[in-house]
Amino acid sequence: MTTRRDPERDLDELLGKGGGEMGDLYRRLPRYEPPRRLDRAVLGEAARAVLSGKPPRRQRWIFGLGSAAGLVLAAGIAWRIGHDAMNQDAVPAPRSAPVVVPVEPISESARAKKHEQPAQQAASDDAAAPPAPASNAEGVLRSRSLQDAAKSPTEKTKTVSKRAQAEPPVTTETPKPAAVPPPAAPQAFPDTAQEREQAQDSGQARDRAAPLAGAAAGADKRAEPSPARGRPSTTPPSSSVELRRDMQLAPEDWLSHIQQLLRQGRRQQATESLRLFQRVHPDWQIPDDLRPLLR
Amino acid sequence: MGSEKTDEELMLAYAGGDLLAFEMLYRRHRGTLYRFLLRTLRHRADADELFQDTWSRLIAARERYRPDAKFTTWLLQIAHNLIVDRFRRQRPQASEEETEAVFRKLDAPESDEPERVLTEFEQRRRLQLALEELPEEQRVAFLLRIESGLGLEEIAAITGAGRETVKSRLRYALARIRTRFAT
Repeated sequence: MTTRRDPERDLDELLGKGGGEMGDLYRRLPRYEPPRRLDRAVLGEAARAVLSGKPPRRQRWIFGLGSAAGLVLAAGIAWRIGHDAMNQDAVPAPRSAPVVVPVEPISESARAKKHEQPAQQAASDDAAAPPAPASNAEGVLRSRSLQDAAKSPTEKTKTVSKRAQAEPPVTTETPKPAAVPPPAAPQAFPDTAQEREQAQDSGQARDRAAPLAGAAAGADKRAEPSPARGRPSTTPPSSSVELRRDMQLAPEDWLSHIQQLLRQGRRQQATESLRLFQRVHPDWQIPDDLRPLLR
Repeated sequence: MGSEKTDEELMLAYAGGDLLAFEMLYRRHRGTLYRFLLRTLRHRADADELFQDTWSRLIAARERYRPDAKFTTWLLQIAHNLIVDRFRRQRPQASEEETEAVFRKLDAPESDEPERVLTEFEQRRRLQLALEELPEEQRVAFLLRIESGLGLEEIAAITGAGRETVKSRLRYALARIRTRFAT
């Protein structure tokens, strides 16, 4: 290629067929092609547009909005569950230092008694009656995770760190009332928490694996306000919530509470609470009337 | 190959839901569009981004496509609009003085410029460098002509400039490229 050319002649050549000398030279340059990932992206977008009949950008926007709405809904459910649980806890007591105490396996007699309860509850036509025990265990875990989602970040961290210490230790994470609830008072997630602990202790949860859908259905039921609230409960069950509440009591008050449970005929719960008491206060003198519970 | 569908027919078929028509159309124009973008923008990442954006806009506007507009012109017009937006956010155009200096150099007596015979490799390298150094408007006009094979009217339609303006840009572009070969 020479340096001196007539610009008009060059232009005519360029505009001619094939672009002239410059066109020939240009065609010898590397023939770059778009990378495969671009091909996939474009063809995918074209296919999505045809299949959905909507522009992809708008689809992504709608998808994002849908996700956000889902999160808000989940947070709302979690808040509602947490609110219900708070309502069950009555007056909060002064917060003490967190104590982590592993729960001992519950005695066979207590477990046997516990198994009678679903039948009694079915008779009382309770809509929130628990389904299969394993489903309950899963449901409670699910509910607990929803509750966690509704908690503040600091609370959440606390709970997580406590859980990280060991399962199945019972943790004291919320202020508990000093007053003893009346026997017929509804509880947050009655039965299920206790059964979860039982299942964890005895390994029954693994043996009684229920379908996930069943567990979810159980959790959904519990997410709604319980229709049985306010109704007299024939057998007030024990729960980890109450055990945790007991742990907040002064030793003397705790023992009085256990005696009161015994007087109310709630022997199983009294036994569990006393076992817990013994672990928390191993040096404390157990009153004579309660000693038989430990046998 | 008389039975082969035109670009316009394929585009209409895609607008009607024929995905295979789009794939065929895409295969026909992917290379030309990509090279036009890459050589105009000079950055692979930018070229990739605008390549995808061009097709995205075409896909989104498929139902508005009318066959009275040539498909290639439409596709390159979308790409050109994106390029202009990109350039506006970047640096200004080369000055008029700069362009005139190139012509003054070209107008110098023949004896001042030793004739060189360059190897083919060197010619290709210099053409690439010259393309990179062209002012944006000249580079776009030159590439639309040489890469896409468009005529003056089509280039004018795509760039929104007059026919004579396009001609002038091409002339300047050629002059600059020749200068690169002369140095």
